This record gives sequence, C-alpha cells and structure tokens, in this order.
Amino acid sequence: MFALALTNGLVIGIVYALTALGVSLVVGIMNVINFAHGEFYILAGYFSYLFAHTLGMDPLAAMLIAVAGVFVLGLVVEYTLIRPTYGDDMYSLILTFILSIVLQSIYLLVFGPYPNKPPGWVKGATDIFGLFFYGNQRLAALGAGVAVIALFFAMLKLTWFGRMIRAASQDREMAELNGIDTTRLNMFGFGLGCALAAAAGVILAPVFPVTPTAGTPIALTAFVCVVLGGMGSMSGCVLGGLVLGVVENLGAAYVSTGYKHLFMFLILILVLLIRPAGLFGRREA
Amino acid sequence: MRSKAIAVGLVLALFGLAAVAGPALAAGPVKIGVVGPRTGDAAATGKAFEEGIQLATAWVNAKGGVLGQPLEVVFEDTAGAPDKAASGFERLVTRDKVAMVLGESHSSSALAEIEVANRLKVPFVVVEAWADPITAKNYRYVFRAGPSNSGVVNETIAQWVVAEGFKKAYIVAENTDWGLGIAQLTEAALKQAGIPFEQLVTERKSQDHYTELTKIKQYDPDVVLAYVYGTGLHYFVAQAGEVGLTPKAVILDGAGPPSLWPDYWTNVGDYGDLECFVSSMHEKVELTPLAAEFRENYVKAFGKAPTDYKSRSIYDAVLIAADAINRAGTLDAEKLVDALETTDLLTTRGRAKFGTEKGGPEYHQWMPPMLVIQWQDKVQTVLYPPEGATGKLKR
Repeated sequence: MFALALTNGLVIGIVYALTALGVSLVVGIMNVINFAHGEFYILAGYFSYLFAHTLGMDPLAAMLIAVAGVFVLGLVVEYTLIRPTYGDDMYSLILTFILSIVLQSIYLLVFGPYPNKPPGWVKGATDIFGLFFYGNQRLAALGAGVAVIALFFAMLKLTWFGRMIRAASQDREMAELNGIDTTRLNMFGFGLGCALAAAAGVILAPVFPVTPTAGTPIALTAFVCVVLGGMGSMSGCVLGGLVLGVVENLGAAYVSTGYKHLFMFLILILVLLIRPAGLFGRREA
Repeated sequence: MRSKAIAVGLVLALFGLAAVAGPALAAGPVKIGVVGPRTGDAAATGKAFEEGIQLATAWVNAKGGVLGQPLEVVFEDTAGAPDKAASGFERLVTRDKVAMVLGESHSSSALAEIEVANRLKVPFVVVEAWADPITAKNYRYVFRAGPSNSGVVNETIAQWVVAEGFKKAYIVAENTDWGLGIAQLTEAALKQAGIPFEQLVTERKSQDHYTELTKIKQYDPDVVLAYVYGTGLHYFVAQAGEVGLTPKAVILDGAGPPSLWPDYWTNVGDYGDLECFVSSMHEKVELTPLAAEFRENYVKAFGKAPTDYKSRSIYDAVLIAADAINRAGTLDAEKLVDALETTDLLTTRGRAKFGTEKGGPEYHQWMPPMLVIQWQDKVQTVLYPPEGATGKLKR
C-alpha cells in the first residue's frame, strides 16, 4: 500500500504542479490571479476531444492545435479584459471570476453536461515490480507532464523571453528601465499561462474526462500549490504540487479516504503558520 | 332599466361564481414547478428532466390539459446546492404561483426543499432524491414518486447480492446524504444476510480513486457496491480495471444513470463491460403500455433512444400531478394533498400509489420496481428480479 500511495502521490503531484505553473507564472509577472485558469484547462480538453473525435484528427495534432488555440484565446483575453484593469488587482480578480462562470455556461451549452474524453494514447496497465498495477495512460501522462515542466524551466533559464519573465517578476520597474516592453510581456505571459493550463488539460483529459464544471476544483488545487510553494516561485510551485499529491495519498491510505482533500488544506495551514511566504516565497521588504 | 339590472346581475353572478370556484377557473395555463440541477456537476439530470417534462406536458395537453386549461411547467435550476434549491423552490411558489412542485435528484437539496414545502404548505412530489428522511419526516405536503434508499437496498440490491451467492462484499460510498445513507442501510442488510463486508467513504468530487481501489483489492471481494454518482462513477470503473480489481470482482453502480450516459463507453473503455447497475428502465423491456408509448414519443422527439431513466421518472411525476389536479378539481393545496393520497395511476413504471401509514419512510412514498442490469458485450442483460431476468450474471 505504501509503494502505491507514494507512487500515485508523486504522479498526482506532477499533475498538480503542471496545472499550477500557469497560475504561478501569471501571478509572478502581472500580479493577477486568474480565476478562469481551470476553465482554460477544460477548454483545451474539449478542443482535444472535438478535433480528435469529431474531426478525426491525429490525437497529437489535436492536442497541439488545442494548446495553440487556448494560447491565442489567452492573448485576446489579456488584451480585451485584463489590460484595462492594470493598477487595480481587485478588478482583474472579479473579471476573471465572471469569465470562469461565463465559460462554464458556454461549455454546458455547447458540449452538454456529460463528461468528454479525448482518445487515450495507450491502453492497459503495467505491473510495477510485482507490487501493484498502474494505468499506462497515467504513466504516459506522467512522462508528458515531466517533459512539459522541463521544457518550461529550460525556456525560463535559457532564453531571452525567460530572462525577461524573471526580470519582470523580480523588479518590474527596473525591467522597464532596461528596455523590456512590460505591456507586451504581460500579454505573452498571460497567453503562456493559459497555454500551460491547456497543456495540462490535453495531457490529463484522457485520464480524467472533462465536464463543464470540472475546472473549479482544478483551479482551487492550483492556487493551493502556488500559495504553498510561495507566490510567483516556479520551483516552489512544483514542490508544492508534489507535497500535496504525496500527503493526500498517504493520508487517504493510512488515515481516511473520506477526507482526502482535507489533508491538502491542513498542510497549507501548517506551512503558512511556519513560513507565511510559502516554501520558496520571498518575504516582503 | 330592466336590461341594465339583468346585466349587473349577470356580472355579479359571474364574479360570485369565480370567487367560489377559486383558481380552478382562472384563465390561462395551470402552472406546476420542477426543481432540479440544470447546471453544476449533475446537469445531466437536468437534461433528462427537460426531456421528460417536454414529453409529459405534450401528452397531458393533448388529452385536454388540466382543469380545462393547458398545463405549463416552470423549471427552476438548483445547481445541486441546498441553498439554491430552497430559494428556487420558494421562487416557484411566490413568483410563479405554481400549484405544486415536482422533481429533485440530490438528497441534500431535497432535504432543504421539503422544509420550504412544509412551511409554505405546497405539495411537493420528490422524484429522484433517495434519502429516507425525505419521507420519513412524515410531512403532510411531501410525497415521493421514485426510489428510496431503503426500498432500493432492501427490495433490490441486498436481495440480488444474496441471490447471486456473493461471498464477500465491499461498500464504497461518496460523502453525501445519499451515499452515506444508502451505505448504512446496505451494511445493515448485509449483516442480516450474514455476508462479510468492508466499507469506505470517498470524496464526491474526487477524480483519483487508486488508493481506495488498492484498499478494496487487498480485501479481495467478489462484489463492490459503488454508491458514487456522476463522472466519479466513470473514473471509478475505469480505474478499477487499471488496478486489476475487475473483472475478478463485479462492480454494481448503485445509482444507475452514469452507466447509461452517452459517453460511458468512451470514458471507461473495455473496463465497462460486465459492470452492473440498478435502473428502473431497460433498453428493451417495458413494464406498461405507457412505457412503450413514452419510448416511441421520445425517439420521435429527440431522434435517439432514451437512456437516462430520470427522463421517465419526471414524466411519471408530471402525469401524477396532472391526475391529482384533475381529480381535486381545484388548485387548493389541501385538496391536492388529499387527491395525491388517493392516487391510483398507471405510469411508465407501474401503478403509482402512495403509502398513507405514518411512522416511517413509507409514508407518502411510492417505490417503483428497480432492476439490476449487467453490461454484457455492451448489451443490457436484466439479472434481477428473477421474473424479469433476460440472462445470468457473467464474471
């Protein structure tokens, strides 16, 4: 039981981290909390389902187009809804909250209330060292999730765009003085945040089918990961996801399955009591 | 002068008649309300309700409506939340002036709504919320034309478990009024039948059940009684196959509709075969001539065969309401309750009659017959009751 709980905790933790990275990125660059983050995840799942099932596209092509589509939508949302609210965090918070409700209603209208699942990449399950069976689609999602996270960190560390993101996250005014167009950076940063949510959506929808309202708990878990890891800290966000996944699964295995998500909030309270800025957060000057 | 007096007399007589007859002779359609989730996690039930309402209203109005007026149904969304359910119910009564309210599929919401029905003294016919306390509270204005937890467990599930000769069972319940209530009743029934069992509670919104399923697998049951509703059931069935719990153990979906949703096979794949579920409807077996007529009208209206049995449950409830209003001859709540208590109507699920003996959940309860069905090569096979069986359990 311990081996299964730990393995599953790490897999679910990667899932949480992947979902939360986009939130962390947008918070880091723009100081905007995107309440509609879960809905962008769901939209990518629906797109992936639609392109692969209805239009008969290759699943990989369907996934890539879905992520690209959500990225473009993210740019449009930033330009039309978020940009006019700069300077007042509360407005952007309310706007994205309303956007999440509007998107949920549109999904219900267009895709109906039933769960939709894009085609899986692999079938069956693998015997892990004779200890337990584990779904192959989950293992594939784990591999894809780790690859996306690694690519994201490589982009952040090795490219000019990554440097601009890091510079704006650390000191926005100084970044502007050094010639960074922060308005355009905001736009692409928000789009990239939505694309990360979309990447999580297309990777995970074959494991967990999407429904119109499934985005709410996803966004909630992502916010917990971000706060746990430290607002705006990317590596903290990944660590936060892993801690949550493992604690939830060990708690369910050895304490109670009925309160699985309660452990998530208990660990959050505990960390915030000891380290109010989160595991990797910077203390305010 | 004389003709003027006659005209005044006629007007007064008409006013007097209208006052005596009350709302029964009011012009315009007779309104009844429906409560149910059109949004939220269980919006699929709202869709099934919409379909059933459309067919039932057409059926009633084609036969002359109610009290000589057309019947109109106002559907209020509860989103599956008790607070919204209670306020939605109140809106139907105070804003829309409905004579009666029907529906609901969440026990938590229904438990909030029955308090409003009792306070406002409006007849409420619950359709698909199964928790026993809904009728066990013995409220005068509350009826249930649908399954109750104790009815489903004692008349169907427990008897099926015994009849199939299962040796060890595992009960899995979501943490809701319905899930916890039906699990408790199942424990009592299995204890009485002498069948060893274990049980665990799972979170309603949980997507990942690997840890729960591994615990279940360690116990090595031959039947898993899963009281998990909605998409959660799809996750549960698919993941049970992945961890190797099935096909060695048989899963029974203790609610039914999620096993019949259009994307069931896409979501669970081959792991869905040999799964069992309870249902008041089978794809081919019809209990009454009205059920066959319902199927025919459904196909005509929606271009597909009915799957979610909740469309038929609300259909029956609308027919029961129309029948009660016609027999009462008025929209007066007290007389409607009296009429409902003497209901004796052939519906799609059999003859509807409400219990009138106070003291338990049987008061104001009509329990329609339920079936246990198994998917065998994607074809529904009735396993229980024996008199309706179309095949035997496959493992």
